[in-house]
Amino acid sequence: MNGAQVAVAALEREGVDFIFGYPGGTIMPLYDALFNHAVRHVLCRHEAAAAFAAGGYARSSGRVGVCCATSGPGATNLVTALLDAYMDSVPVVAVTGQVRTDLMGTDGFQEADVCAITQAITKRNFLVDDPNQIAATLAEAFALARSGRPGPVLVDIPTDVLKAQVTEGAAPAPPPLPAAVPRAPDEAVRAAVAQIRAAQRPVAIVGGGVRAGGVEAFRTFVALLGLPHASTLMALGAADPDDPHALGMLGMHGLKAANKAVQRADLVIALGMRFDDRVTGKPDRFARGAAVIHADIDATEFNKIIPADVILHGDLRDTLEALVAELVRSQVPRFDAWAREAQELGGPLPSDRVAEHVLSATDVLDRFFAAVPPEAIVTVDVGQHQMWAAQRAHPAHPRHFLSSSGLGAMGFGFPAAIGAQFANPGVPVYAVVGDGGFQMCLPELATLRRYGVPAKVLLIDNQNLGMVRQWQELFFSARYSATNLADNPDFAAIARAYGIEAFAVADPRAADATIAAFIAHAGPALLHAACHPTENVWPMIPAGMTVDDLMEARA
Amino acid sequence: MTCDLLLRDARSVARIINLAHRFNCRCTRIDASAVSGATTASFAFDGPAVALTRLRAQIDRILAYEAPAGARLPEGTP
Repeated sequence: MNGAQVAVAALEREGVDFIFGYPGGTIMPLYDALFNHAVRHVLCRHEAAAAFAAGGYARSSGRVGVCCATSGPGATNLVTALLDAYMDSVPVVAVTGQVRTDLMGTDGFQEADVCAITQAITKRNFLVDDPNQIAATLAEAFALARSGRPGPVLVDIPTDVLKAQVTEGAAPAPPPLPAAVPRAPDEAVRAAVAQIRAAQRPVAIVGGGVRAGGVEAFRTFVALLGLPHASTLMALGAADPDDPHALGMLGMHGLKAANKAVQRADLVIALGMRFDDRVTGKPDRFARGAAVIHADIDATEFNKIIPADVILHGDLRDTLEALVAELVRSQVPRFDAWAREAQELGGPLPSDRVAEHVLSATDVLDRFFAAVPPEAIVTVDVGQHQMWAAQRAHPAHPRHFLSSSGLGAMGFGFPAAIGAQFANPGVPVYAVVGDGGFQMCLPELATLRRYGVPAKVLLIDNQNLGMVRQWQELFFSARYSATNLADNPDFAAIARAYGIEAFAVADPRAADATIAAFIAHAGPALLHAACHPTENVWPMIPAGMTVDDLMEARA
Repeated sequence: MTCDLLLRDARSVARIINLAHRFNCRCTRIDASAVSGATTASFAFDGPAVALTRLRAQIDRILAYEAPAGARLPEGTP
């Protein structure tokens, strides 16, 4: 076997069924090994889309997503999506071709030092210079990607190493690497429970850490206490959809009840979340009167933004189970009255809906989320539609709502939906995108077409880079610099040119029927919703401010 | 703040220096040598206390990601 065959065998051993990629010179030996192989290659139309698709595959399944690209431009095109996976703790392994070993360092054709480039945005990366190390390196890469706080790992293999014959036996199966999992000490668990028992107004904030197997434990924990709880963007779906104590999304465009309840809390129980600035606003004024219990698997997060009174360093599911076990050792406190009070701090979502004959993006999304089946997976891109969707979606599980949350990478939503559909072939998958982000990945319509992927795209077209336009309106004296997209193309015609069924709606009276037809369509489809151009996202807490500065409408 | 580290991957020395720069800390001493496949590295950093704390946490994360071979030597801390 040569190095490439060993690599593909290693991928197969890791349970890889799909690898998203784009071929090129130095990665050709790997593509040759993939030819007619059980590990299926999915040809995307851009390496960035391939890496986002791998992320969508991983986010929606919990399994490691795999992408590959050639050296130089192929590898550098992966960078944004690798950072996206790093920021949102998504297990991804990227395999890149590298120029021949003897050309490395000579500015060879399509040479890039991708290990140096990605050192700050991967958990680790590896340059493999010995074909006998390929199998062991890939095993370590997968173990590292999925262990602890998950994240991306890159394996760079020179083309001559991929071609070379393995001498030390054919594809040796390396032993599985043990994954060290920290466990919150009993003393810390007892201290946390003491804080909970002493609290009058506790609020849990659940974050992306819950995605790694902690959803049921979280639901058990909050139900046991009758605890009001808010969610970060990453954890939408962690709450049982029927949980009356769920306050919804927290943060800049979060729901009023969630933001106000956290601000009034005397105890914040932070579960697998990292106090991102889009959540805290101004950290020294965030939940000023609250003690903080912080549970996370990554010790780096403790005391980084918000000081913690009790630190629970461990896997979130284990930590939650330990908290429940400690709580039930004596009478369990209940916080139902406070939870009801917290819920009443909210109200209907404010909106900018305009005249009845003009389609409103929020109206379209209200109707869309009322119509999609409960088991659906929804991906979003980045911008106004992302926040409107996050406010309105009721996902059954965090793996059913996929967003580039930490990085906020436009161009994520559509390829992520493709990856999610490959990981979940029987599940309806929808990408909700804006007209800006969709144009960053339009060629992926070809990927939908080639593989008959039934994922659907709901395009909220307000002919603007809407979120930037909103900030220009509110904070830059309405000087609309480079945000107008009034010259958008005919998106439905583009979809049809790729062989994708297209629906279009511009009249609110036709919205329900068109959305129903779009959802009922058996294959891939685009729904183009031509929406009012200046609708804003409300509520909004301006950057660096607090819930006291919450805006619900234009001044 | 001083850190005496045993690194599996010599490139982590560069990563740590870059992190210090990003965290508004100053690297005042670097001693590094490769010994039988591992690298011993000794650093001293100056900077705001909060930045040094974050830097220390990030260094610990680098070491953790180097596991299982990663290990930390006894160190002097502020």
